Amino acid sequence: MIIRFNVNGRDTKLEVRGDERAVDLLRETLGLTGTKEGCGTGECGACAILINGRARLSCLTLAAQLDGHSLTTIEGLGTPEQPHPLQQSFAEHGAVQCGFCSPGMIVAAADLLIRNPHPKREEIREGLSGNLCRCTGYSRILDAVEKVEER
Amino acid sequence: MSVFLPLTLDDLWPLLSDPQTRLMAGGTDLLVRRRAGFLPGPICCLERIPCLRDVSVASDVRIGAATTLSELLENREIAEKLPVLHQAVRQLGSPLVRNQATLGGNICTASPAGDTLPALYVLEAQLELGSRTTTRTVPIQDFITGPGQTLLEPGEILSAIRIPLPPADSTQCFEKVGRRRALAISVASLAAMLRLTGKTVREIRLAFGSLGPTVLRCPEAEHWLTGRELTPDNLRHAAGMVRQSVRPISDMRATADYRRQVAGNLTLRLEACLP
Amino acid sequence: MPTGPYDIGPAHVRLDALSKACGTERFSADHYPPGLLWAGAKRAGIPHGIIRRIDTAAARTLPGVHAVLTRADVPGTNRQGIVHKDMPVLCGSKVRHAGDPVALVVAENRDILRRALELIRVDIEPLPAVASIDAALAEDAPFIHAEHGSNILLSAEIRKGDAETAFPDCDIILEETFFTPAQAHAFLETENGLARLDEDGVLHLTASTQAPFRDRFEVGHALGLAPWNIRVTSPFLGGGFGGKDGATVQCLLGLAALKLPGRTIKMWWDREESFLAGYKRHAARMRYRVGAMSDGTLRAVSCLLQFDTGAYAHLGGEIMELGMEHAAGPYRVEHMDCRGECVYTNNPVAGAFRGFGVAQVSLAFEGMMDRLADRLGRDRLDLRRQNALRRGDRNCAGVTLTTSTGLDECLRTLRRHQFWTTRNEWKQAAPRFTRRGTGMAAVFNGMGYGRGLPDNAIAKIELAVNGRFIIYSGVPDMGQGNASTFAQIAGEMLCQDRTRLEVVQPDTEISHPSGSASAGRTTYTYGKALIRACELMTSKLIRRAALMLMIDEPGGFTLVPGAVRHLPTGKEVALSAMAVMLPRDDRVCVSEYLMPVSREVPPTGKDFALGFPHLIFPYAAHLVRIEIDEPTGLVRVCDYLAVTDGGRVLNPLNFHQQIEGGVAQGLGFALMEGLGTCNGQLITKDLSTYLIPTSLDLPDTVSLAAETLEHSGPFGMKGVGEVGMNGPLPAVASALSDALEAYIDRAPVTPEAVLKLLSRGGQA
Repeated sequence: MIIRFNVNGRDTKLEVRGDERAVDLLRETLGLTGTKEGCGTGECGACAILINGRARLSCLTLAAQLDGHSLTTIEGLGTPEQPHPLQQSFAEHGAVQCGFCSPGMIVAAADLLIRNPHPKREEIREGLSGNLCRCTGYSRILDAVEKVEER
Repeated sequence: MSVFLPLTLDDLWPLLSDPQTRLMAGGTDLLVRRRAGFLPGPICCLERIPCLRDVSVASDVRIGAATTLSELLENREIAEKLPVLHQAVRQLGSPLVRNQATLGGNICTASPAGDTLPALYVLEAQLELGSRTTTRTVPIQDFITGPGQTLLEPGEILSAIRIPLPPADSTQCFEKVGRRRALAISVASLAAMLRLTGKTVREIRLAFGSLGPTVLRCPEAEHWLTGRELTPDNLRHAAGMVRQSVRPISDMRATADYRRQVAGNLTLRLEACLP
Repeated sequence: MPTGPYDIGPAHVRLDALSKACGTERFSADHYPPGLLWAGAKRAGIPHGIIRRIDTAAARTLPGVHAVLTRADVPGTNRQGIVHKDMPVLCGSKVRHAGDPVALVVAENRDILRRALELIRVDIEPLPAVASIDAALAEDAPFIHAEHGSNILLSAEIRKGDAETAFPDCDIILEETFFTPAQAHAFLETENGLARLDEDGVLHLTASTQAPFRDRFEVGHALGLAPWNIRVTSPFLGGGFGGKDGATVQCLLGLAALKLPGRTIKMWWDREESFLAGYKRHAARMRYRVGAMSDGTLRAVSCLLQFDTGAYAHLGGEIMELGMEHAAGPYRVEHMDCRGECVYTNNPVAGAFRGFGVAQVSLAFEGMMDRLADRLGRDRLDLRRQNALRRGDRNCAGVTLTTSTGLDECLRTLRRHQFWTTRNEWKQAAPRFTRRGTGMAAVFNGMGYGRGLPDNAIAKIELAVNGRFIIYSGVPDMGQGNASTFAQIAGEMLCQDRTRLEVVQPDTEISHPSGSASAGRTTYTYGKALIRACELMTSKLIRRAALMLMIDEPGGFTLVPGAVRHLPTGKEVALSAMAVMLPRDDRVCVSEYLMPVSREVPPTGKDFALGFPHLIFPYAAHLVRIEIDEPTGLVRVCDYLAVTDGGRVLNPLNFHQQIEGGVAQGLGFALMEGLGTCNGQLITKDLSTYLIPTSLDLPDTVSLAAETLEHSGPFGMKGVGEVGMNGPLPAVASALSDALEAYIDRAPVTPEAVLKLLSRGGQA
């Protein structure tokens, strides 16, 4: 089936199979490998993207479901030349070690901040509880989100 | 493999004539099971049908079945009037899961460990089922007949959940026990609704999750506590009755013994419900 | 905004942090070259059996399938392994664990791959599954490796003094047996790689690997290829923790590439396959007997350590060795008799994992210290201080500690901290329905390979034509930040800022063999080599500058950002100007470093061909405050403190990140992880059943450095990649025994176990 959607500001039209997953469409067809896959079952959050401004698990989203929607992936939030404040804050606060969880984590944080622009640390902790990180123990990730406005 | 995204109920009904078609709301259960090789066939997504996502609070609370759990969580009136449901939803999965998972999906999956179910039982939720030609309303305790089993007929969907407004003087509590504090399948849970005069229980409803094939009420304990004070001693007695009545199994997450013990212990913690 | 040099000391932000945060850094899994084919393995499905028949006919004829390979298609030895090569690339006659690969499919896409794998019929005659250490050691146990003659991969002993004669003189003797489970690394990026055999006969591999240089030898040996015809590149890994040390996908990919020359083939294990086929931490049973005097002096330790290495050796012997070398803890003990048995079973393959045998024994030696302190009526921390190793002592393996030994400083720092000083008030203030406890642990973890295996690195640095320095890392960065640390070392030595420093991730064609990313060694060994290479570079640039400036002697020069400056005259030559004038082979400096080994060869540990003994150890003292929920037995970690001696801290950010991460993994190990198997079949198959901590499950760890000076290390440091992992389990066990007045002897500590201990005490 043909689907039409906007990804990172770009209108896109693609032919997709029914059982194709959004995460594969993004990574393989569109070359947007910033979105990662860690489990395929919604347990790790590495595949999170924003759909109409809301974070969703792209491994549990069919490509077909993207029709008509507006997607933002980690690449759309910012680039190394013009980083999103969260990306900059993650880098500066030591929230990135291996970095594989970082895109999903930042997308989830972006969703949180849209809904709750000044979250308390415990609210951030809860807001990111669907994103697994094996490297950091989370503290510096929480710091990065807490202090994102201080820059 | 086909995926359908109907925009209205009228678009939906013809798609259900194929008995192989799987209904999908959030996809957090269905797609995981399909990955493991189960439930093949065409998929019919419900997320684009507006009347299935409506939440209204008037003489009762009516929640469209495809309302996402995040939408529920962000609804102030539900947080105020149905705190037991709010608390249950808050501990289900994770924020990412909740952004797409739905109340209807959690009900129709009918897992013995479904996190929203004890709250819905204790609130005595009624379920609106619809098909092309019929509508009917079924109490939730009748709707779920066993693990993963419901009364849903072919061609029928769960369209809405109706919850009577609890009395203004009622207290609601919820507790979920999991092996970690997010993304955890419940090992035991308790949703409770009480009406108290001072310390005396005028009415009490207890619904236990993950302790039997479906959610279990405990009429014996409810009955016994009615008219008595919510003291540690009385709660200990009630806890004993709870332990007798639950029917847990042992699995990789916990043994039946542990679950039985904890079921009673959760009852003890009801003393925290005192104002 | 101008910045100073990217140097040693400050908490410089990593060079790769922003690209990773923006999703532009490409991991191995992120490569999708055009014309890609996908490879996947058909796995045994049962833990032990004889292969009778593999029917691949239906799979072969499926459109879109390019190859279906079995053992007969494997050239070379069909054996992979790091030291002990006992693991088939594809099983021909026998399967030894449920994840053993029996066939390899290469297909157009993953959908066809999946269907083809389903079409392969494998007929295996089951053999009794050897699912435990006891089953493996039983008289009538079937041999998992017939040619080995027993199920004991390695039996070994480390003896110091004579424990048996010392025990009767002890005032107090305690005994206990401890158990730790298999643990999954659960890195976010699962095992993956790509391979292509070029027209020139070179096998190109890109892999998420901790050992690109060794991979060539492992693949070469397995497939009958010359290692120098194999080129391996290792981009940043999305986590490793030991699980990507040793070939995972590499031999299978090499095989596929050989059969389909010119095609690029990718293999990416999904999470379920990673659980099934990936390596795990060795489960262990540790039987301890400790003898001490009434004044608290440790006299003798006797222990039997049994490690379950699963179906294949991997680094089982070496892991057991390290555990044995640490068996009595970081304490002065006159006598130790440590015996070890590393045992084959039909369980999932055990291999390297952060803490490498020491994470297991730490539960045991620290558990014995708590029991001893309690029995003697002594303060638990004080008893440890009394017996803590100091420089100049002999450790429990009989080796003199000639290097930095900061354990006591760690313990003193912990002792002063309010978490320790207020532990009694904190405990008394437990809210209704909770019980509180504070626990502590003293831990250590030998760094480097130990004797017998040269721990060597070769650093290469180049002045590029644009005047920037390129460091050719020889060891992968799996998140520990060594790439940036190398840049900091170069920045410090060459006085350059981060815009002039670039680190290239390992590529066996252009960087030099530098060992594996493991054993806490990479910054130490490669760092020292890099310092030397930078010294060579500095000397060279100064001499060339002297020539260019017509100055007749090289004294008085220094490097400044972007230039070489002659201090007496103030004249400068820009690095970019110099670079353009020099031929390439005059712009490259290479140097190497070999980690020192112990000069002491104690008359023990003879069963170990390599790895014994170690010379350099980081130390740490950990503290945890926990709260038990009495109705459920659930344990909440309220606070965690780690005080670590890693020598000098080169970058506080990288240092504490390692500790915090190790603690997080250690707390998972303590409270919720543990691979579930039943008769060799995996029960915990994915991340919904194998639980690792979420952000709601961990506290904010307070990490402090107790700095010593490790003279041998680059700028005085030693590696702390592993030691943080070893503290949480014993610290949690310690805290629980404080709260429950009952001891813990196994991990993970389940709510059920806690509830049982609570009810034994009569309270609920």
